[in-house]
Amino acid sequence: MKKVVLMLLFILIMGGILSSAIISVNYFTAPIIKANEEKKLKTNILMALEIPFTEDDMDSVFQQKVTVRRDSGNEMDYYVSENNETAFEYKGKGLWGPIRGVIALNPDFKTIKNVTISFQEETPGLGSRIAEKPYLDQFRNKAFSPSIVITRSPAKKDNEVDAITGATLSSKAFVKILNGELGPKIEKITGGN
Amino acid sequence: MGSQGLLKSRTAKTILDGIWRDHPVFSMLLGICSALAVSNRVANAIAMGASLTFVLVSTAIIISSLRKMIPNRIRMITYMITIASFVIIVDRFLKAFFPGISESIGPYVGLIITNCIVMGRAEAFFIQNNPYYSVLDALSNGFAYTYTLVIISVVREILGFGTLLGVNVIPAAWLDSWWQNWVVMAMAPGAFFLLAVFIWISRTLAKIETKDMG
Repeated sequence: MKKVVLMLLFILIMGGILSSAIISVNYFTAPIIKANEEKKLKTNILMALEIPFTEDDMDSVFQQKVTVRRDSGNEMDYYVSENNETAFEYKGKGLWGPIRGVIALNPDFKTIKNVTISFQEETPGLGSRIAEKPYLDQFRNKAFSPSIVITRSPAKKDNEVDAITGATLSSKAFVKILNGELGPKIEKITGGN
Repeated sequence: MGSQGLLKSRTAKTILDGIWRDHPVFSMLLGICSALAVSNRVANAIAMGASLTFVLVSTAIIISSLRKMIPNRIRMITYMITIASFVIIVDRFLKAFFPGISESIGPYVGLIITNCIVMGRAEAFFIQNNPYYSVLDALSNGFAYTYTLVIISVVREILGFGTLLGVNVIPAAWLDSWWQNWVVMAMAPGAFFLLAVFIWISRTLAKIETKDMG
């Protein structure tokens, strides 16, 4: 009996000491991690809106040129540039893992200005190429209503984009995310108008 | 394997065993899964190796200093909570100071908890030896794991991405004419091939025979 109590005591003390170590590390790193995430989001918003910036003046550029607004339902933030272009975050399921990023729309709310990917876990060298510029640049000025369509033959219509050879499924998953996210989020922002 | 010999070890023997004779990856075949997963880029390999080494050394210090106090029946739980705590600390640290690397090796930092090298060394070495030899053992095992990852990742990154530590290393003339990135190297199968070749070569050099493994 005494042995069991001692064992229990040992684990409790050990767990207590280690937990306090974790708590103190967390205390010091939490603000830095939060700042990193904010910085990444801001970087992606500026990239999506194509506002030039350098690593040093990122914060001030963001403050000067981007207005942060909240939708009427108080559910999401969206970001408006000086030229009245709107950007917001999107997220969804890729082929292998989550894909997140920022999409910017032209003032007409009918065509895409630019899209960025801030996080993806697709296969390196294949699916991960959806995050590369040549693929993402295809989405510029594409109409997204009623939906963006992936084609195998070279894209011609203004709502068509090409898939990446060898990464058709990741390309499709990405377009599916955009198609699913754009409608409802725009509705929230414009209040249905 | 070899732990009886290690018991009466000298400093040099402890180090040599860790980095060559009892090499965690090619001799004991431990930690293979993470070696396959994060060895596609050199930066990831270095970060993963450093993280594992930190966890190993911290665990070595705690377990070996408490080795006479740890009740025998709950020693596994003790290893687990120690390892888990240090892994969380490493994970937070990477997220705060190396966010890019943290994202690309993502879940594998957390999986150090289940890395057999840490558990294996704790049970085979740290619990029986004093902090001095345990830290040496941890350092040499960590170094062995790191250099294995770096060797594999150098080959994989050059062949798979055409870069080394993110810098383009393929001459521009080759890029224009015949060079093609070898995609399979960036993916898991490339890691399997290379790791197998690495194990084959180093076991031949170290004269390890499969029969001896039991």
